[in-house]
Amino acid sequence: MHALLSLRASSLVGIAVAALWGAPTLACDRAALTAKYPALVGRTVRLAQDGESPPYTFRDAGNFETMRGLDNDLAVATFKCLGMKTETKIGKWSGLLPAVIAGQADVMWNNLYYTPIRAQQVDFVTYVFASTGALVKAGNPKKITALTDTCGIKGVAGLGTVEEVLLHKTSDTCVAAGKPALEIATYPDKPSGMRLVQAGRADLMLTDGGFAGNVAKTNGAEFAQAFLIKTNYKVGPGITRTFAGLQPAIADALQQIQADGTMKELMVKYGVDPSLMLPVEGFTQ
Amino acid sequence: MLEFLFLPFLWQGALIAVEIATFAMVLGLILGLGLALLRLTGNKFLSGVAWFYVWFVRGTPLLLQLVFIFDALPAVGITLDNFTTAVVGFALNEAAFSAEIIRGGILAVGRNQTIAAASLGMGPVLTLRRIVLPQAMRAILPGLGNQAISMIKGTSIASVIFVNELTFRSEQIVGQNFRFFAVFAATGLIYLFMTSVIALGQAALERRFDHLRERPVAEPSLSAASERAPLPDLVAEITGWDAQAAGAEPFVAGHNVQKSYGKREVLRGIDLDVRRGEVVVLMGPSGSGKSTFLRLVNHLEPVDWGEIRVGGRYVGYERGAGGLRPARNLAKARADARIGMVFQHFDLFNHLTALENVVEAPIRVYGEDATRARARGLHLLQSVGLGEHAGHLPHRMSGGQQQRVAIARALAIAPRLMLFDEPTSALDPERVGEVLAVIRSLAASGMTMLIVTHEVRFAREVADRVVFMDEGVIVEQGFPAEVLEQPKHERTRRFLRMVDAKQSHVAPEEISHAHR
Repeated sequence: MHALLSLRASSLVGIAVAALWGAPTLACDRAALTAKYPALVGRTVRLAQDGESPPYTFRDAGNFETMRGLDNDLAVATFKCLGMKTETKIGKWSGLLPAVIAGQADVMWNNLYYTPIRAQQVDFVTYVFASTGALVKAGNPKKITALTDTCGIKGVAGLGTVEEVLLHKTSDTCVAAGKPALEIATYPDKPSGMRLVQAGRADLMLTDGGFAGNVAKTNGAEFAQAFLIKTNYKVGPGITRTFAGLQPAIADALQQIQADGTMKELMVKYGVDPSLMLPVEGFTQ
Repeated sequence: MLEFLFLPFLWQGALIAVEIATFAMVLGLILGLGLALLRLTGNKFLSGVAWFYVWFVRGTPLLLQLVFIFDALPAVGITLDNFTTAVVGFALNEAAFSAEIIRGGILAVGRNQTIAAASLGMGPVLTLRRIVLPQAMRAILPGLGNQAISMIKGTSIASVIFVNELTFRSEQIVGQNFRFFAVFAATGLIYLFMTSVIALGQAALERRFDHLRERPVAEPSLSAASERAPLPDLVAEITGWDAQAAGAEPFVAGHNVQKSYGKREVLRGIDLDVRRGEVVVLMGPSGSGKSTFLRLVNHLEPVDWGEIRVGGRYVGYERGAGGLRPARNLAKARADARIGMVFQHFDLFNHLTALENVVEAPIRVYGEDATRARARGLHLLQSVGLGEHAGHLPHRMSGGQQQRVAIARALAIAPRLMLFDEPTSALDPERVGEVLAVIRSLAASGMTMLIVTHEVRFAREVADRVVFMDEGVIVEQGFPAEVLEQPKHERTRRFLRMVDAKQSHVAPEEISHAHR
């Protein structure tokens, strides 16, 4: 039965053998990279993404079978430079990293922050700083322009995210200054958080800056970005340790993609502030 | 919204949900039936294992189970793809829930049904398949319909292991275009369509398994030539019984039979022989052990001490080094012994027509040709005056009619011995006569019979011997004239006085009310 199900499964996972349409022209010295990592050439990387985190990964509006986004395009470019094939596995964000740790996928490339705890289980290559954005209703009815304006409002963040921690810290600061505390709630996924703001159940959604900027840009009739905070979190793909040679190869390829300006070009394309870019750096612990 | 309602991307997700739910439901039901049966076995260990499984799986979140199967099992070398993981995870979960639903359904079928089946020589598997499950389905189906519907909706949590089913796909579209109302409304309609199909299927199955609903029965017909044979002739024909062969040899030989329920001693050393062709009536107050003795004769219950032989053989016992021990295939031993039994509450199979009740054992246990068995079953029903009712379900018949069907059912296995356990106690007074008439004509056929009854007049008429029991021992026995007219013991006299007084005023079941 297993074999039967496996056969069936391949068509179910939403395998999008990376569409080259929309991806940039080759931005690297492919000959040099494939010569340096010959063992990787022709192999398939199982890429874990959630497809619901614009502008990093999301489904193309014209063709839902095609993945788009900054992280997706960077991944496609990287593995193309290395002469590798990709197979995208799409699942809920919370299941992506466990799958990479368990060897059910090879790389999670979906706006993943580097933390030392995560790095105990997977390798990282980082290339950009994370930012935190504040999403509010269009027109910013509560006139919020900085974190210090948020005392006493209803704020929401993703469960267990750095933004949730930041909301609680802010609330403590408010209380310490004799101002009313924040009313904090959490959501399981970003669309749920957006609905809270849309329905007026929350005044402010603290989330990833790139995401907030993208929403404000593509859906300005409903949302606006109140402010943006640069964080010290580094972002990049989480890579399985069971795929020998993959992490340094990704680092080398990304370095070239960054050096020739392709990375900046993609960041601009997807509305992510290019000033957040940082030199490519690998972590193996 | 319409643009999303007909979006192939969403319908593909719906198909995945259906596929997972179908595979998981089938697997889960098979496992669930096994677990339910384990829980119902008398074996403490097996039932404990099943209980533990149900407790653990029901008590932990399915989401964690899925992530565990998908992400933790690879560490021990078992790597399942996402679809398989979802099917396995949902099936294991379904097994736990459906086990309880199935167990409830089985428990809702009276134990009298399985006892009646056992008395006909039906084994546990046959009884489960033919008698218990078809009746349990009525109670099981609504619960399983719920399960199927919640599973198809619940497949959405498999998105955490990369299963792109309907809900996740709609969230992805929302993540891209933010039009959550339109997308979710379309998704909701697709779910409603799928669950409606399940609800329709459930309704169809419920109709199919509603045994109280009259269904068209192929009206059994006899050839014009066939006359209604008198019962004694028919019995002689079926059993190959020769009334002349009756001899002094004991056909039933009980020696020092003892039985206790817990600390209560029910039989305290009964010695009782029944000759071939003899009709023995057992009398005595409630709790004297009469019915228990009958159940030991055909091994519906085990003997604690002593032995009973029928036709020179033990029923379901083997002689071993340390005495008697239970035989391996008890059902076969019962079938081989060919002992017919008639119960106080008739205990017809509720989901089968009169004729189906009669032919069940001949066809399923003794492997007789169905056409022949049906023809003979119809003759039997005619000879007990119920030819017209062959296609009726038990609940449409009166108590007296049901009891006559029960007698025909017992006769259909060509019995060498008939056991009657208070056959008229549960009947309305005006129905007693019709059943006694059938037993009377059976006695005339020379059938060997052990009858527990409180009908003194009837006993006087049909019995070759009356045995009076009290408190687990035989107080006295002899010809009906002796025991019933001139009892030697005060206990017998007292009982007869009481029965006599009661029988002239009230229905007989009030005397024996506490027996079952």
